[in-house]
Amino acid sequence: MTFAIFFFASWLITALFLIIPKKLSTIENTFVFMIILIISINWSWIIYEEFKLVNLTEEPMEYAAFLLSRSIIIPFVFITQLNLVYAVTSVTRVVLTILMSFSFLLLMSLLSQIFKITEFTNWNLGYDALYYIFLYLVSYASLLIFRKLELSEVRST
Amino acid sequence: MNLWENFDKNEIWILVMLAVAYIIVFILARKFYRHITALFFLWGFTIGVLFDFTIGGGLMDYYVLNDTDKYEVFDFLYYLLFGPFSYIFIYLYDSFKINKKTFIWYIAVWALIGTGMQWVFTNMGIIQFKEGYELFYSFPVFLMTQTITGLYYELVKSKTKVLLPKTK
Repeated sequence: MTFAIFFFASWLITALFLIIPKKLSTIENTFVFMIILIISINWSWIIYEEFKLVNLTEEPMEYAAFLLSRSIIIPFVFITQLNLVYAVTSVTRVVLTILMSFSFLLLMSLLSQIFKITEFTNWNLGYDALYYIFLYLVSYASLLIFRKLELSEVRST
Repeated sequence: MNLWENFDKNEIWILVMLAVAYIIVFILARKFYRHITALFFLWGFTIGVLFDFTIGGGLMDYYVLNDTDKYEVFDFLYYLLFGPFSYIFIYLYDSFKINKKTFIWYIAVWALIGTGMQWVFTNMGIIQFKEGYELFYSFPVFLMTQTITGLYYELVKSKTKVLLPKTK
């Protein structure tokens, strides 16, 4: 059941990303996706395996669900919300988009707890929330940096 | 997270290989726009991180990188090797003008180079296989990642300008 739920969530966010109108180019989406993926992988390893702040399941199917969350759900949520944020014009919709994606991420964290994928030892949902806020900042910063790099040279040629 | 467990052969080899790889990149004539270069450096780095943390740690732990299963700074430096690897892959892909007829050969040769590099890494003590993992299991991994890299480069090339204009 756990694996099915996380697989469904992975499918849902991937499908959502594919059907929405893209405001970022293919390379921009890839760049931000990779930045978030690298942080997500390193973060989970350092917090779970190095500092042991969270216990990670040793059940194969639950572990596969964790891999889906770490490598697919989290990066896709960030690039999807970026495309949606750049597509809307009103501040209310921007805030709403960010809040919805934030709630989705927290829901996945909560489901990880409920289905025993992770077990907090010296950790709580608030820290996860702070981590996601950090990822929002990184996603916007990395896009801006990449665009700057892109425009600086392409414009001058 | 340690800097290193014991500073010996494997750490020295990583530094040497990093120096060689990045010198090669700097020696090569600039071909791509900066953002495309950055994209493919990051692409290689990401593939290295993704596979290492998926099949080289956690529940599927088929090899030890450097001296221990703990995260070391030299593990991170090892992943940095994948950046130039990916860049040189697309650099030569473009230089050799790889097309539908030569794509399969190009990928197969690079998968062999990748597997060969892993053999070198095991001999340098950078990678130690365990749980019955064998060198040749890496061949399909490289075959898959190089194919995706080649196809992704084609996709990027079809959507955006990747090459710097030729100077007279």
